[in-house]
Amino acid sequence: MHRRLQLVLPFCLLFLCALPSGATQTEAQATVEKLHNVLLETMRQGAQLGFAGRAAKLAPALAASFDFETISRLTTGRYWAQIPTDKKREFIEVFTQLSTATYAANFKDFDGERFATRAQEDKKSAQLIKTVLIKADGKEVSLNYLLAKAQGKWRIVNVVAQGVSDLSLKRAEYTAVIGSEGIDALIAKLKAKVASYGH
Amino acid sequence: MHQEMKIKAAAGILIGGLLAGCASTPTSPSAESPDPYEGMNRSFYNFNDSIDRNFFEPVARGYVKVTPDPVRAGVTKFFGNVGYINIIANDLLQGKGGQLVKDTGRFVVNSTVGIGGLFDPATSIGMPEHDEDLGQTFGTWGMGEGAYLVLPLMGPNSFRDLPNSASSMLLNPLTYLNAVVTLPLGVLNAVNTRANLLEASSIRDQAALDPYTFVREAYRQQREYKIYDGNPPGDGFEDYIEDKSDAAILKIY
Repeated sequence: MHRRLQLVLPFCLLFLCALPSGATQTEAQATVEKLHNVLLETMRQGAQLGFAGRAAKLAPALAASFDFETISRLTTGRYWAQIPTDKKREFIEVFTQLSTATYAANFKDFDGERFATRAQEDKKSAQLIKTVLIKADGKEVSLNYLLAKAQGKWRIVNVVAQGVSDLSLKRAEYTAVIGSEGIDALIAKLKAKVASYGH
Repeated sequence: MHQEMKIKAAAGILIGGLLAGCASTPTSPSAESPDPYEGMNRSFYNFNDSIDRNFFEPVARGYVKVTPDPVRAGVTKFFGNVGYINIIANDLLQGKGGQLVKDTGRFVVNSTVGIGGLFDPATSIGMPEHDEDLGQTFGTWGMGEGAYLVLPLMGPNSFRDLPNSASSMLLNPLTYLNAVVTLPLGVLNAVNTRANLLEASSIRDQAALDPYTFVREAYRQQREYKIYDGNPPGDGFEDYIEDKSDAAILKIY
């Protein structure tokens, strides 16, 4: 028994030495997996919670796992610098509400789905966590999350579903609206979207 | 019928595109504008959308209602398998030797043991489905995407992807059967394909501020994703995260 311990101990020490770089990776992965767990819980209770209940359950989880400020900065592209501070705040707020409403509308029932983390890659100072949503029939939907560290926490800045980047889609749409109609029009459209999800 | 329409539409657009090409260089749009024909594209988008909402979408919803899930899955597998020669040919053109061998095995196994492709025993014995086409092959050869196009009745496309319809049709055995067989099968394929897109189109309807831009960007990104077999290079967002500078923001597009 002692002999076995002696054999195993050096490997344990090696593992501990490897931890510092591995630890940050695990944090990014933990952020995504925590979100996935809340999504599954919400789906399981979907019908009894209703839209408002699902949104209330998801809001704190999304606020903890997404970096909405960076996302807002990136979706408005080159226009961000020109947007007045109070409008920036309003935009971040409505964008956060929109994300919550979108998740509440789409993760509404449970049909045997599960999530699995497949890989983790360094992307400069960001981390890419590659996951899949596995449906009951075995079909997989790839969900890749790009995370950045801000205020000591790893948070999601982009979700790429089956190759389609949420950030790029929104960026294309939002910059087009700001360019032709201005930030106020964009905020109004997003508010209308949020309202439409509740019905 | 659907295939015939596809050919005619493709030929019309090809000619139209070539004519337009005389005046400009559509195959190499600037990085600023992947969509130099936005005006024309938007008109075709609206045309397609109204036909879809009034005809294809309701028909697809009706089809989903009356057809059990396993039957629809079988139909999807059948058309996927019968079109698989196109995938094998593009494995070859892209020099993917291992994939070529597996895909050929897959086609043989699913066509025989899988009863004409209605079932997919090949996946469970290590021959999973791949998705290749001529546009992806051109992409792996280094060709740029070219101008974005919306084709009447066919939807999103690009100059690089334009020959896809012709190659996939020429390499599809169904093309060479009697019209009595191909006609109903073509209609079934069209309806089944639309049914498989119901979830995607409802996400578009729910999420998009401008459905045209939404579809264009989703199409372009998904093509890039397929060309790189699910591992496209970074889109520039990492650079911003690295230095948080305005300069990095401008480089994303």
